Amino acid sequence: MLSYTLLAGLLFGLYFSLVAVGLNLVFGVMRLINLAHGDFLMLGAFLAYGLYAAAGLNPLYAIPAAIVAFMLAGVALYYAVVPRLQASRDPQMLSFILLFGVSQIIEALAVIAFGNNQRAIPATVFGSRPVLLLGQSFPVAWVVSAAVSAVALVVVYVYLYHSRLGYATRAVMASRDEAASTGINVHRVSAIALGTGLALAAVAGVFSAFMLGSIEPDMGIGITTTSFAVIVIGSLGNPLGTVLGGLVYGVGLMVMETFYPSWADLLPYVLLILILLVRPSGLLGQRVRLA
Amino acid sequence: MSPNALLSVSGLSKRFGAYRALDGLSLEVAAGEILGLVGPNGSGKTTAINVISGVYAADAGTIRFDGRPVGGLPIHRRARLGINRTFQVPKPFRSLTVTENLEVASAHSRSGDNQIRECLELLALDSVAGREAASLTSAQQKRLDLARALVARPRLLLVDEIGAGLNPAELQLMAQTLLAIAGSGVALLVVEHLLGFLRAVASRVVVMDAGREIFEGPLDLAARDPQVIDVFLGR
Repeated sequence: MLSYTLLAGLLFGLYFSLVAVGLNLVFGVMRLINLAHGDFLMLGAFLAYGLYAAAGLNPLYAIPAAIVAFMLAGVALYYAVVPRLQASRDPQMLSFILLFGVSQIIEALAVIAFGNNQRAIPATVFGSRPVLLLGQSFPVAWVVSAAVSAVALVVVYVYLYHSRLGYATRAVMASRDEAASTGINVHRVSAIALGTGLALAAVAGVFSAFMLGSIEPDMGIGITTTSFAVIVIGSLGNPLGTVLGGLVYGVGLMVMETFYPSWADLLPYVLLILILLVRPSGLLGQRVRLA
Repeated sequence: MSPNALLSVSGLSKRFGAYRALDGLSLEVAAGEILGLVGPNGSGKTTAINVISGVYAADAGTIRFDGRPVGGLPIHRRARLGINRTFQVPKPFRSLTVTENLEVASAHSRSGDNQIRECLELLALDSVAGREAASLTSAQQKRLDLARALVARPRLLLVDEIGAGLNPAELQLMAQTLLAIAGSGVALLVVEHLLGFLRAVASRVVVMDAGREIFEGPLDLAARDPQVIDVFLGR
């Protein structure tokens, strides 16, 4: 039982890392909490559901569409909003309020477009035979979700640590003014980071029907809260710290679901409070705050 | 505008709410010249560098670089033209190594030349080239800040209080470095409180008070100017 719980926790941990990594990337580059993060994930979920319901497409086919659509949406959202926010006297507070408004608008439009009913994509869309991992049997949808999450996280790593754009992105994370004064186009780098953050959320949304149970327009706020807990556990502002936060959260969730199921919903809040009290800079510590 | 001026600033003004940080500042710097910018705290020296480099937009006035107006350009475009700077409190790209800091600056510079090894040696950073910038001492971070500006092959270098916190030996080394940079044809605008350091490097100074120029000329003459004495000693 325990080994099953831990392995399932790791699968879910990888998935929650993907859920949260975009939020952390956006925070690291722009120092703003995207309160609409979970709503973009919800839109990715409905994109996958729509393609499945309309054309019977496997959710894997929704991934390229989600990446292109949400990358473009992120770049457009950045240029429409962020430079004006940053010219204001209190950009962080203003962005907080504005993105809360964006979240509410997305949710309201989703209710109008899709209704309030819960939707689901059958897990058998990936096949009905379970997958054996270290002697334990898991639904194939969980394994596919975790595998895609792992690939996406590797792509984020390559982007940040092995590309010219990634070096520029990390420079902007350290200091926007100093990055700009070395010739980096900070707005372009930030717009791409926001687009990437939204695209990662949308890709996570594609698998939410299998990992989170169902799809509904008001799922965004809960996902944003969970994502925030994950990135605070790992390290706020350090995208790779999200992986550690995701794994801790995933294993914690599975342990709670297995042994104390009625308490499981409290996990993100309890972890958030605990980490802020015990180690406010996150498990990866000051590398991020000072990064 | 003097025909030799690489940078020409005229009537530069900047307000923050009711506070007038710059009030019609005008100055010129020629290629290969080191111009000192001095004044009491709050006189607008760092604001002048921030406006010239593009961190802040000017409310009024013109900034011409090599005869071309650059006041409307964003900071990264000015950097690519060859207007580079250091910061009063350096914030290196902490998660990157020293070499990676310079590689980023070089990759986005106007020339794209790879002068990283030369800059590391010039600023005595070669022994820490592979270390994360976050692990450097404050003096090393100042040298890294300067190296990052230099690797971009500047034509105009804006230097903001680079002497603060350095010991006498480090100050002497820094003065020699700035003179060598100017000797290569780069124009330098140096904001500094350490007048001994400034005397060693600057042929001319502009003294500021309340956002305005109150003196322009050699530092030794400034020290005898009644208005400058009044501003510094508060009489």
